Amino acid sequence: MTRHTRILMSVIYWAFIVYLFVPLVLMVMMGFKDSKFIGFPIRGWTLEWYTGIFQDAEVLSVFAYSMTIAIASTALSLAIGTWVACFLGPNRFRGKLIVFALTCLPAVIPGIISAISLRIYARALDIEPGMLAIILGHTVHNVPFVALVVMARLATLPPSHIEAARDLGADSIVAFFRVTLPYLIPALVGAGIFCMLLSFDDFVRSFFLGSYEPTLPVLIFAMLRSGMSPEINAISAVVLVLTAVLGLWAERSMRRLNRGS
Amino acid sequence: MTQSEPKLAGVGAAGTAGGGRSLWGRLLTSEVYQALSAVLFKTQRRQFWLLASFPLFWVFFAHLGPILRMFWISFLDAYPPSVGQTPELTLANWTKFFEEAIFVMPYFRTLGFALVLTVSTLVITYPVAYFLAKHVRRNRQLLFLLILLIPFWVGEIVRTYAIMILLGNNGAVNLILKSLGLVDRPIPFMYTSFSLSVGIIYLTSLYMLLPLYSALEKIPNNYLEAAADLGAGSWTRFRRVTLPLSKEGIASGCTLVFLISTGYYATPVLLGGPSTTVFSETIAGFFYVAGDQWPVGAAFASIMLITTLSAAAIFLKLMGRSGPGMLR
Repeated sequence: MTRHTRILMSVIYWAFIVYLFVPLVLMVMMGFKDSKFIGFPIRGWTLEWYTGIFQDAEVLSVFAYSMTIAIASTALSLAIGTWVACFLGPNRFRGKLIVFALTCLPAVIPGIISAISLRIYARALDIEPGMLAIILGHTVHNVPFVALVVMARLATLPPSHIEAARDLGADSIVAFFRVTLPYLIPALVGAGIFCMLLSFDDFVRSFFLGSYEPTLPVLIFAMLRSGMSPEINAISAVVLVLTAVLGLWAERSMRRLNRGS
Repeated sequence: MTQSEPKLAGVGAAGTAGGGRSLWGRLLTSEVYQALSAVLFKTQRRQFWLLASFPLFWVFFAHLGPILRMFWISFLDAYPPSVGQTPELTLANWTKFFEEAIFVMPYFRTLGFALVLTVSTLVITYPVAYFLAKHVRRNRQLLFLLILLIPFWVGEIVRTYAIMILLGNNGAVNLILKSLGLVDRPIPFMYTSFSLSVGIIYLTSLYMLLPLYSALEKIPNNYLEAAADLGAGSWTRFRRVTLPLSKEGIASGCTLVFLISTGYYATPVLLGGPSTTVFSETIAGFFYVAGDQWPVGAAFASIMLITTLSAAAIFLKLMGRSGPGMLR
């Protein structure tokens, strides 16, 4: 590799980083602008918008609503995803490829189609649009990710661990809870945080499965349709910081997992 | 496998291991549990089905169910059916698609868009992934990757809004252009296919970057050195060694980006204009604006699902990728 291409590539890398970060930085900055009007240049600065959203009862309740949905759907996704992975990982049977493909299906369907099919299904099952529908919709979408992460981790569990437990008198349930599950914990933490992010940031499913009570992304969308305002910037910036922190945490636990195995 | 004998013998071990009788030891010796497990785990076969029952139920009921239901609805003449009337089967919802240009146009626009965006994303991210995999020292790669990941975690809406601020008439790009004296009136970037493309590439680029990175990172450096020793120039090395060996990453990255970019709804609504209506907006219209046209919307969504999934399958086939490697 010649020096020129090397320099060119590092320039492209940093340009790409700029492309990724500049819009977000500008958005956070604009939340400090002392004017209702979104746009450059910024002449005066204020903290008003950021302090305002923490006193806004509607924003806070929407935040709590989104959080509840994220936590509930994550818990469900982890339980179901782990069960699917523990079945699919070690067992060999006819049609395994089909079951595996079906497991991954919700993750590869384009977002709008996933949302609409879930909306139709919720109606067929008589589930009213609202919290329960969103929780279940997010769970369907998240299970593939949990299952894949857990299957990958499961593949590194030496079979001798289970055999040893069985020799010591544990039946398969006890062996699962005392050997397999502790071994899976780092993967579950990582997958769990990832699910929280997916659920908390999800727009399209929350939009179509929700009732009049919006989740945070749906609220931002509704506000944006009636015009940009620094308040939206402040809300988005808080969401941004929150997701970045959660993401870094997930990354850290996943990295520890890779080191451990 | 009958295991009543060794299990009883082992309970003592499990019970005493933790000093005294542990919770698990007590559970194993409790009569209820033993009776239950005698029934449940009597044969290997029964144990398998017990483990299989819920996952099979879930993937068929919750993963496949919604799609099948959507297909079913798309053949009904009315949904939800009016009271006292049984819905009749019809193909009208499907043929409606071919009858009007306002449906066909967004469909082909979406596919064309997705194709162009997939290729542009590949071209943009390939050097980034290559730089990361081959030029950054291994112990710093994680850090460099992490920097790229942070914006990736932020949701669709927030990132779309960020692009709106960047490209608006009073946005940062126009401010810079104006202060450089390049333009005297702001360029209307927003609500065009340009703003939509910038937004979608912004959202999807990391789905391309990660598979590319992991494919490139696996290529041993000495392959490239060997090629260089044999007299291959840097272009030849790229074309004959790097590119073929990163084919897997290109295939999965392109598939992901293609599928994901066709599925966005909020981004085209916020960044696009009337001339860039994509098919997801058309579909959503039947559910959101005109609430009683679910069967038509379901038919259109089915058309889109069939198209995108078969396009992805054909593409993967052409790239010669076999089944997922996780299945042993």
